[in-house]
Amino acid sequence: MFDLQLIRAELLKLRRRRGMIAIALLTTVGFVALAFGVTAIQHAGDPVKYGPAGGLAGLRDALPTIEVLVLIMGSIVGATAGTQDLESGVFRDLAATGRSRTALFGARFTGGLAVTVPIALTTAAVMVGGAFAFADGLATPGAAAVASSTALLVGAAALATAAGVGAGALFGSRGPVIGMLLGFFLAIQPLLAAMGLLGGGRALVPGQALARIGDIPTAHGVHVGLGLGVGVLAAWILAALGAGAWRTTTREI
Amino acid sequence: MIIAMTHLPVTDSPAVETRGLGKRFGARAALDGVDLVVPRGCAFGFLGANGAGKTTLIRLLLGLAQPTAGTMRVLGHELPAGRAQALSRVGAIIEEPRFHPHLSGRENLEVHAAARDRAAFGRIDASLQRVGLTARAGDKVKSYSLGMRQRLGVARCLLTDPELLILDEPLNGLDPAGILEMRRLIRDLVDEGRSVLLSSHLLDEVEKTCDYAAIVDQGRVVAQGAIGELVEGGPRVVDIVCHDALQAAVLLAAIPGVTQATDHEGSLRVTLAPDAPVDHEIVTAMLRRLLDHDIAVERVAPVASSLEDRFLTMTTRLEDRS
Repeated sequence: MFDLQLIRAELLKLRRRRGMIAIALLTTVGFVALAFGVTAIQHAGDPVKYGPAGGLAGLRDALPTIEVLVLIMGSIVGATAGTQDLESGVFRDLAATGRSRTALFGARFTGGLAVTVPIALTTAAVMVGGAFAFADGLATPGAAAVASSTALLVGAAALATAAGVGAGALFGSRGPVIGMLLGFFLAIQPLLAAMGLLGGGRALVPGQALARIGDIPTAHGVHVGLGLGVGVLAAWILAALGAGAWRTTTREI
Repeated sequence: MIIAMTHLPVTDSPAVETRGLGKRFGARAALDGVDLVVPRGCAFGFLGANGAGKTTLIRLLLGLAQPTAGTMRVLGHELPAGRAQALSRVGAIIEEPRFHPHLSGRENLEVHAAARDRAAFGRIDASLQRVGLTARAGDKVKSYSLGMRQRLGVARCLLTDPELLILDEPLNGLDPAGILEMRRLIRDLVDEGRSVLLSSHLLDEVEKTCDYAAIVDQGRVVAQGAIGELVEGGPRVVDIVCHDALQAAVLLAAIPGVTQATDHEGSLRVTLAPDAPVDHEIVTAMLRRLLDHDIAVERVAPVASSLEDRFLTMTTRLEDRS
């Protein structure tokens, strides 16, 4: 799972996709920087109508949107990492080396993380930097807020990457996998969180776990303890990876 | 530069050995009771029509699919238990060689080397040079011709310093010069002591390139052995150019020892029974019969049997398949 040679190879395949890397950066870092810039200009033009772009309040308001952007970025990168060997037909040649298929699969996830986590951290840095730079007298985030919001973005990146790699191994085609993941994160997940009949079971929705880790309000006030949130997130990641590893080792090619 | 073959174990075990190997997809048998022995240090042709089971056998040998019956050994290792050990010294091209199109040739080899042992990285330059791709190694593979991709596929095989190369239709899409080049490369690899299992439906090329061959038909091996033995085992055939070929065919077909006399590209092709008298006796008998009936004979020539002839006599014609 942590073979450095394989991880380096996976990273090489991903970073040579310059278009995908550009989209991933624009979707996250670019969008956050743009949002701060636009809000700051609006605030400068009409301070009464438009509040400061930064501060702790600005960070908390922006965090759910930025979380979604990181989920989108992670889905794109994860699905690419999960499917590029299969779609190109190279997986057959890699498997024919006799190398463990589990190791080949594991490298997809870790290689994907090597792209998504730095982007998530850069996004967090721009977000926190903006919160300080554009506070304009508002309270700035403390260490706990910085840590929890960074943890949320890194957790979202890890979740989406695992989901992309796992679903990629299951379905083998990048476009449909990205579509499925975006549908889940943007539509199905909020629907599940809103279904009152699920009661406390809604704590098992990954978005709720991420909200708890990020110390922002969970949807519909569902109570989620921090330990449960971390456990739920880990369980979703492991489930996605387990399904992908199973399909990778049993696939006839 | 020649890549030296190192650490070859001295062993009598065949490069590939299968016993009763079978693979079924539902009710359809893609392979059925295949017994195959590929000796070491030779080029071995695996011949069959499209859909005969060639690629299925290769997929089983490489652990890409699981057999439903039988056993197999590669380089002396029982599969699937010894798969990792066996395949660490096997280079393979399965169907057409596939690569990441957005990476360069060299980067694709780096990706493959990562799945091999560390020494594989040190063989990248030599492999590229050997297949003549050094100058284009930095170009993206999506700009390569099919012939270049085939050569890059061979370079990828060489990264592991293979004892055995398994090449599935390596001549597909190559122009005549490329075919000649590939044939030489395969012979060079064999001369270095490597074994090459070459699957193809290009019979003439297999006859020119390989030392041994097996013929597979509808999932079963119907013949295997040295190319010379396979060719010699075919029917004896004589071509006769004469006047009134229609009457001649009737007359010749009635001679004991003649199984068939048919029109063939302007001449009469006479197929002899395995127990027919030696050539000079049967040819004399045929000429006498024709001359007795005032049929002038222009030329008599024995037809050298080819692998293609043998293949066609042994395999199922398309129209006979159900």
